[in-house]
Amino acid sequence: MTFNFAVVLKFQEALFLGLWMTLKLTLICIVLGCALGFLVALARTSKNAILRAASSVYVEFFRGTPVLVQLFWIFFCLPLILGVELSNMTSGVIALTLYMGAISSETFRASLKSVGREQLDACVALGLSHWARTTNVVLPQAVLRAAPTLLSNCVSLFKESALVSAVGMADLMFVGQNISNNTARPIEVLTIVALIYFVIAFPLTRAVTVIERRILKRLAL
Amino acid sequence: MSDTAPLVKIEGLHKSYGGVVKVLQGLDIEMKAGDRVVVIGPSGGGKSTLLRVLMGLEQIDGGSIVFGGKPYISANGNGKTAIDAKVRRSIGMVFQHYTLFPHLDVIGNLILAPMKVRGEKKAEAEARAMALLTRFGLAQKAKSYPAQLSGGQKQRVAIARALMLDPKLMLFDEVTSALDPELVAEVEQVILQLAKQQMPMVIVTHDMWFAKNIASRVIFCAGGVVVEDGPPEQVLGSPREERTREFIERVFHIKH
Ligand SMILES: Nc1ncnc2c1ncn2[C@@H]1O[C@H](COP(=O)(O)OP(=O)(O)OP(=O)(O)O)[C@@H](O)[C@H]1O
Ligand SMILES: [Mg+2]
Repeated sequence: MTFNFAVVLKFQEALFLGLWMTLKLTLICIVLGCALGFLVALARTSKNAILRAASSVYVEFFRGTPVLVQLFWIFFCLPLILGVELSNMTSGVIALTLYMGAISSETFRASLKSVGREQLDACVALGLSHWARTTNVVLPQAVLRAAPTLLSNCVSLFKESALVSAVGMADLMFVGQNISNNTARPIEVLTIVALIYFVIAFPLTRAVTVIERRILKRLAL
Repeated sequence: MSDTAPLVKIEGLHKSYGGVVKVLQGLDIEMKAGDRVVVIGPSGGGKSTLLRVLMGLEQIDGGSIVFGGKPYISANGNGKTAIDAKVRRSIGMVFQHYTLFPHLDVIGNLILAPMKVRGEKKAEAEARAMALLTRFGLAQKAKSYPAQLSGGQKQRVAIARALMLDPKLMLFDEVTSALDPELVAEVEQVILQLAKQQMPMVIVTHDMWFAKNIASRVIFCAGGVVVEDGPPEQVLGSPREERTREFIERVFHIKH
């Protein structure tokens, strides 16, 4: 068996476009998903029983079903229910944002809980208003504590985003599959695709460790 | 305010946790502006609870507290506690477990409340903070994070943080009992320094030497009421009440 990696070079541009789609989708869904996750975490600890119930159902549902099924459902069922056409990009963003929201809400919930009652007492003793307490004490501590897990969530999202190729979005995985079908060189092409994913994800997983060691240790959070 | 007008007047204070654990059961204490009150008593006797109520951290079941002539805390019958937040700002508290903000450096811990509560300018607050830190021998720690400090340093920072708001009363709840023995003195010295400047304070401590040196008055609390209240020489030296005597002998290993 002979390998011909030069084949892959010919499709450089297509692969870059695919990667660009993957990164764009991931970044958009990280931003939207984290915001959603934070709000859902607040809702899950809210005094309002309806908010609590609705947010729990959402989180448990998305954590308890395969991402691929969620994706198919949003691509094929949601437009039928809403009666509108959704572009591939819109559907992809909705699906992965909901996924990211669900997993990051759990991360935020744990970190919010970890800001102890003593910290809140100290805030009251210093006369800080509820708003000042939330924005200057609770939120920064929660975000710092959540940072390593949140970054892991981002890496998961980046990798799970490959599933959108199954519904025809031209991401890195989709482009790679196409090239490998057309050239009949699956080993070369899919290996390169795997390497591209790895080269991006690996530094991020390392960063998780660094954050944990350096920052959290310095702050003893 | 004259030295004899009451700074704090606690009347008929009742406090329970969830209506079940009755901790304070009709507490009356009057404190003058010149007083440095040391509260002693058995574990679970409600000393911390008393300080937390004074700090406005707890709901109460009955009674009232007047501070500097103004109504501060009262139970208004229907299970709600009215706390005057403005009055609360003139009281500072230091807790047993430091409770510094771990995500802020020392100076950040000191200037947060002055900036947020009083709207002080950053530069101004920082200048005051540095002056306080210098006075407490902590100037070179201004940029350190709490996790990088010893327990004694943390507690001195916590005291400085409370002083940034110019409190008219300071509450100290066993501020040295989480410290290694060799670090206790540096914290006690800072509090003694404050005492010299006539800062009114309420202190809960199990340290006999400290109690004797700082107190102008000692209150023995047990079973949710004041059992004995008087000058330190009397309460610690020759207690009138049998329960006080027994407690002091047991805790401070002193035979009368
Ligand atoms: N948040 C709470 N919820 C329920 N019970 C509490 C709470 N805080 C304190 N208690 C109870 O109230 C009683 C008085 O507690 P408190 O901490 O005021 O005592 P203390 O005199 O400070 O004791 P120590 O010397 O051990 O610090 C104890 O029985 C304690 O278990
Ligand atoms: Mg206590």
